[in-house]
Amino acid sequence: MGIPNKNLQGWVRIILVLCAVGLLAVLFFPLWKIDLVAPQYPEGLVLLIYPNKLSGNVDIINGLNHYIGMKTLHTADFFEFAVLPWIIIGFSLLFFIVSFVGKRKWLYWLFFLFVVFGILAMYDFWQWEYNYGHNLNPDAAIIVPGMAYQPPLIGFKQLLNFGAYSIPDIGGWIFISVGVLLLLGLIVEWRLAIQIRKKNSHILIFILIITLNSCNYNPTPIQIGRDQCNSCKMTISDEKFGAAILTKKGKTYCFDDIQCMLVFKKNNYKDFENISDIYLTNYCKAHQFVKLSNAIILAGDQIRSPMNGNTIAFDNRDSAEKYQKLFQAKIINGHQLTGL
Amino acid sequence: MKNKNWIIITSLSLGLLVGFNACKPKNAGNAVNSDAAAKTYVAPGKYDEFYNFVSGGFSGQMSVYGLPSGRLLRVIPVFSVDPEKGYGYSEETKPMLNTSHGFIPWDDLHHVQMSKTNGDYDGRWAFGNANNTPRVARIDLKTFRTAEIIELPNSAGNHSSPFITENTEYVVAGTRFSVPPDDAAGDVPINTYKKNFKGTLSFISVAKEEGKMDIAFQIQCPGFNFDLSRAGKGVSHGWFFFSCYNTEQANTLLEVNASQKDKDFIMAVNWKKAEEYLKAGKGRKQAVRYAHNTYSDKTHTAVSEIKTEVTVLDSKELKDICYFFPCPKSPHGCDVSPTGEYIVGSGKLAALIPVFSFDKLQKAIAAKDYIGEFEGIPILKYESVLYGEVQKPGLGPLHTEFDNKGNAYTSMFVSSEVVKWNIKDLKVLDRVPTYYSVGHLCVAGGDTKNPTGKYLVAYDKITKDRYLPTGPELAQSAQLYDISGDKMQLILDFPTIGEPHYAQIIAADLVRPNSIKFFKMEDNKNPYFSNGEGAAKVVREGNKVHVYMTAIRSHLTPDNIEGIRLGDEVYFHVTNLEQDWDVPHGFAIKGAGNAELLVMPGETQTLKWNPDKTGIFPMYCTDFCSALHQEMTGYIRVSPAGSNVPLLFSTGKNYPVSDTIKKTK
Repeated sequence: MGIPNKNLQGWVRIILVLCAVGLLAVLFFPLWKIDLVAPQYPEGLVLLIYPNKLSGNVDIINGLNHYIGMKTLHTADFFEFAVLPWIIIGFSLLFFIVSFVGKRKWLYWLFFLFVVFGILAMYDFWQWEYNYGHNLNPDAAIIVPGMAYQPPLIGFKQLLNFGAYSIPDIGGWIFISVGVLLLLGLIVEWRLAIQIRKKNSHILIFILIITLNSCNYNPTPIQIGRDQCNSCKMTISDEKFGAAILTKKGKTYCFDDIQCMLVFKKNNYKDFENISDIYLTNYCKAHQFVKLSNAIILAGDQIRSPMNGNTIAFDNRDSAEKYQKLFQAKIINGHQLTGL
Repeated sequence: MKNKNWIIITSLSLGLLVGFNACKPKNAGNAVNSDAAAKTYVAPGKYDEFYNFVSGGFSGQMSVYGLPSGRLLRVIPVFSVDPEKGYGYSEETKPMLNTSHGFIPWDDLHHVQMSKTNGDYDGRWAFGNANNTPRVARIDLKTFRTAEIIELPNSAGNHSSPFITENTEYVVAGTRFSVPPDDAAGDVPINTYKKNFKGTLSFISVAKEEGKMDIAFQIQCPGFNFDLSRAGKGVSHGWFFFSCYNTEQANTLLEVNASQKDKDFIMAVNWKKAEEYLKAGKGRKQAVRYAHNTYSDKTHTAVSEIKTEVTVLDSKELKDICYFFPCPKSPHGCDVSPTGEYIVGSGKLAALIPVFSFDKLQKAIAAKDYIGEFEGIPILKYESVLYGEVQKPGLGPLHTEFDNKGNAYTSMFVSSEVVKWNIKDLKVLDRVPTYYSVGHLCVAGGDTKNPTGKYLVAYDKITKDRYLPTGPELAQSAQLYDISGDKMQLILDFPTIGEPHYAQIIAADLVRPNSIKFFKMEDNKNPYFSNGEGAAKVVREGNKVHVYMTAIRSHLTPDNIEGIRLGDEVYFHVTNLEQDWDVPHGFAIKGAGNAELLVMPGETQTLKWNPDKTGIFPMYCTDFCSALHQEMTGYIRVSPAGSNVPLLFSTGKNYPVSDTIKKTK
């Protein structure tokens, strides 16, 4: 093949061009979005952050925020919106140039700059979220002592009656994809350069993806008094009892009683094929789940659970045995519980 | 090998996307149990178990629903005209809407209270308040009609009203807007609020038998906004509690300036003490003007009287009537538990619900446990009056009612839910979402000494997607919950008129037996009553023409009238001669700049008509009364001013044509 030592492979250069085009496309799409969910907004509210402006329900959100004394949001208040499009265009040009020049070292520098920019951008984003969430008008109508309204950088957070859910939007995803592609090219080139074994790079990518993906692998915690049992449809109000089924698709079904979970499982899932895991509420540490496979389960008539399942779960044997005496219950394992 | 890498990376990237979406919060959804339909189904022809009297808010009316079906039974016109029923249009009902400002066709009815005996509903009257031009109305539940309206001097925006003492001794009215007293020079700069503006509480006595209202006395208080109130009952009978906000005494941008203090006040009023002062002649007679309108079921006519004096007790000078105790963040509801021992304050911006003890209040007063005073009224120490606080109940508590099992139910506007908690240990027991942003709620008998429980209705401020869309303007939404079990259960969602504020649920058995079916002819004392068709006539008095008309299935008498001239004022006094259930007759005439009449059996109502041109004008019965309803019509001939067409009227016969021509000439 005769690959020149310091030059990029052809397909890496093509990827760089694709990335450059992708970055130009970012200019027309929102980078980030903050979804706001409240009972009285069943249709939802959204704040869209474009490279050059704020969009979505900005006026409605400003109207709501004035109760808590938050500054109103205006595109003109952010110098970032003036600068960001040019930075993105600049990066697009850089990608073109690196592709054109085709030197490996240039790729390293490009990656370095891109990562630094990404970190700085996220820090900047976090900072203005912090400022907006904390610098509140002391004359505001609603002041909850100790309460700040900083939206999450990424993920979910409850702010008074609003649930705020912050995630990248199309532009952001393109950006992340560009980063991933760049990393991929970098790894391949780097491996070629210093002849490292293939396996390691696989591991690196796996670690990266799994880290980002990790929130898929935990059930959504039960919100007491808010969530409804997916089986009996009652509001879950006792934090000591309960269970959840996490499906392979990442959906959590929660229940107010282990009994309800079993009924639901029986009606909806013949076997464990589509179930990722089953979790039981830890009787001693309310709000915490213990995996069915790790759980010590007590069953007995003196245990009064909301739906008369009369079973409770523990994450350690000591606690289980303590309550076993109290309730005169018997210890069973997960297989006995599910009958499998 | 390279291809494999790509597949792995692509699929993992996709997994990443899906993973993020799995983190997204899920909507709670709308859980309705499958037995909800059975619980709310009232079979055709069957009656509901409860009447639900619901304020009509800015419609100015009061609506009556059946529960648990949520069926609308009647809209009672109270403070707004109702052309459908002729209310405010007929000569007999116009005086009902008279005030010191003259005739007012609209108001804003916020709260409903049923009359009480021994702290329980007695099913005799319902009261409603007018929030704009301050008034209180009494509705007679024998007829489901407004029987009396009294205006309130020294007030503006009657909001903390019409709350009632346990034997309906008094209906109260606290002013929402403080204003300079009526006899002071009101033409002052608005920013002299603190100096010139006063809050006034009116105590309206209600006569034991006939229900007649009278302003027994008023208490002049500091210039706060009086929001809501409740009478003490049982152990706290003799006291009244008013929530006050804007204790900052702001006169502009209240949403900010009246929300500054961490705690505002609930004012406890010892009205028995006030009565003593009144008897001792400590009150000041003040010259004022207010209207008192009463409707008689005998004359079928309203009379409006302008009264000119009221007795005012000054809270600054007369000690031991009023006490303040602090309550967090602009309190809205201040609701008294069935025993009368607990007073629940709901700071609409607070993150907890304080529960005060009447016993501790009495002890604190006896011990003079004051932290200061405001305009001569002592302020008690918060901790000395506090029984306890309900922690983390939700956001934006507004109103609380009670059931028969020692539980309280509080509406949460901001977090849009109803929260059930135990009065004794103040633990939150259950919570259910409302759709959306509940304002008031009511439990069957929820403000009495012996609540019925069973049902709770949430009256929402936001409707959005609950029903089929009807353009930008939507019906309001209410939800019915079954509260008989440990968990509250949503069983029905129904639209309401206007904007419902407070409402009451009363057992149908207390009201239904008293409902009359028609008015007796022999009791009709209307001066324009026609006792039978033989009494029908047309009488000219100058340019006024009085038509004494009767209606019976299926004709009007007279139905041919001639000799009306342009410039005449014609009064149709229509008597419905029927004496049977559900046979009203309507009356309308072409071109009347007015409404229809809807005349009940045995009743006389009058429609005024100014003909605007010559010619023939048909008139007819508007309420489909019989198979020959379409035949229940007549004609009126209008001739030019000064015409010598003789005044003729008839039914079922024609004057000879020649005769008519001759007379026309």
